Amino acid sequence: MKIAVCAKQIPDPANEVTYSNGTIERPEEQVLDDTDRYGIEVALQLKEKFDAEVTIISMGPSGTQKGLQQALQMGADKAVFVDDESLEGANSLMTANVLSELAKSLSADIVIFGTESTDGYSGTVPQQVSRYLDLECISYVKAVEINDNVTLTRQTVEGSEKLNMPEKCVISVTAGGVEPRYPNFKDIMAAKSKPIEQVSISDLTINTTQNLEFIDIETVENSKSGEKITDEGEAYQEIVNKLKELKVI
Amino acid sequence: MKTLIIGEIINNNLSSGTLEILGKAKSLDLDVQVVTVGSDENPSIGVDLCKQTYLKRQNNSLNLSKAATKISEIIKNEEINLILGSSTYMCRDLISFLSVDLNSSPVSNVIDFDVSSGNVSTVNSINGGESLYKTKINSDQALLLIRPKAFDPVEVNFNDDFETIDLDGSDLEVFDIFIEEKSGPQLEDSKVVISAGRGMVDKENLELIETLASKLNAAIGGTRAIVDAGWMPYSQQVGQTGKTVKPDVYIACGISGATQHQVGMKDSKFVIAINKDEEAPIFQLADLGIVGDTLSVIPKLNDNI
Ligand SMILES: Cc1cc2nc3c(=O)[nH]c(=O)nc-3n(C[C@H](O)[C@H](O)[C@H](O)COP(=O)(O)OP(=O)(O)OC[C@H]3O[C@@H](n4cnc5c(N)ncnc54)[C@H](O)[C@@H]3O)c2cc1C
Repeated sequence: MKIAVCAKQIPDPANEVTYSNGTIERPEEQVLDDTDRYGIEVALQLKEKFDAEVTIISMGPSGTQKGLQQALQMGADKAVFVDDESLEGANSLMTANVLSELAKSLSADIVIFGTESTDGYSGTVPQQVSRYLDLECISYVKAVEINDNVTLTRQTVEGSEKLNMPEKCVISVTAGGVEPRYPNFKDIMAAKSKPIEQVSISDLTINTTQNLEFIDIETVENSKSGEKITDEGEAYQEIVNKLKELKVI
Repeated sequence: MKTLIIGEIINNNLSSGTLEILGKAKSLDLDVQVVTVGSDENPSIGVDLCKQTYLKRQNNSLNLSKAATKISEIIKNEEINLILGSSTYMCRDLISFLSVDLNSSPVSNVIDFDVSSGNVSTVNSINGGESLYKTKINSDQALLLIRPKAFDPVEVNFNDDFETIDLDGSDLEVFDIFIEEKSGPQLEDSKVVISAGRGMVDKENLELIETLASKLNAAIGGTRAIVDAGWMPYSQQVGQTGKTVKPDVYIACGISGATQHQVGMKDSKFVIAINKDEEAPIFQLADLGIVGDTLSVIPKLNDNI
């Protein structure tokens, strides 16, 4: 079984996001998007049961490759990435186009994603990749049971439903679906010698265009000048009064 | 502009998200039709305002990709230029599939859009709602995923006047379909919402919230932190990756107020926040902020209401 898992390098979420010309500014050192840890965890659990090969696929400025290293530290076998100036500010479809080409080049049977990236969160890339690959997409997986076959539980509007994982498909895993493992010192050292390979965009078939033109970004002023009261035992009374005033009680 | 709305069914009628988009499309005078995807037996989803087509799927197989193929066909045959859907699980899947078929990248998290001289422009919320991002769409077809509560719903009379197209199932069998029991007031349409965060300290303390909610006839929500911790089902998560609520009163109990949470509740009319950290960002959104311990304030509230 060959598994490709998407891992995105993003600016450290502890810092404020900044934009230049409508595109997120990316420092040299980016980290692994936590959302992807869930997908990687599922891939590794499959690997433990079925002897699979797990390859990280990634697109975007590679910089110090810290985020890719973090993905390898969790236990993936190798990483392939595309980093090309022409992809700066790529829309979701272009991103999916590139990632599906990477998955194809690896002859991946199963392609796994988080449900949306922390920095861009368009939340469409896994489904788009499945369409490019002409595979079914099992989206919003929130539980995985691995026995002789693999049962996936999907989140739906009304509740949930289960499916048996087919031999080939695309999966997106919701945050909280599984418990991502923490690498130990040995894992961290082992990751250093794992292969990371850059793929040239000219080796891929890309036929998407930038159909979305950036116009402007505006910051939203959210703050209200409400009352703030420190509770010294009686502050509940303020709430009761307010609820009466608002005719809730 | 020829417009297609992907409709969804809730309680045998069109979902509020669908009606909100229809309201906006009507206000822009778009030439609109609805194509609804669902598995209900006999829904009442015909609307007096425009054409309705029902793509009926079998709920025992995952066949959304087949639904998308059918919608692609309709879009091509009828030369549709604008495709709209709500940011729900189903529409996210469908619009993503369509974007590949039409080779047009979609815009997600749209909170407003406009059509002028044949061009579609959008405003979408980024960075957990901290900023608004404006885009002009330069492809023949524009695909938008719209956040719930962005627009006012249209008033409609439902009827049974629509065409039904039965979709084939796929090889992917679905089983153990679980429908979460929905009792009490629902998040989307409740006038009062009480949400809990990690500042409720322990899952057991959610009883306090339940008591308060029953006294105020309120729906209960929560942050992703407590949903991830298993204190509450995902269907109750409020925020960027959960539900968007717009009640008259929102009571945030032990919630820090991360931007991803704010985006799901900041349009509430009156916000009350209880948090022991006076610097908590939630206070920036609060009309009434109580700096205090949830476990001391809420029991007293319960005793006095
Ligand atoms: C891509 C992405 C999507 C996300 N989507 C969502 C989403 O949809 N919804 C969402 O909610 N979050 C979402 N998050 C997570 C979000 O960033 C926050 O981590 C989360 O909202 C924090 O939840 P919290 O307020 O319960 O916990 P914390 O941030 O830990 O805050 C707990 C608060 O409780 C207070 N407190 C502690 N004890 C007490 C006490 N005894 N009395 C009073 N106050 C107390 C503390 O001062 C603190 O402010 C998302 C994150 C990412 C990256």
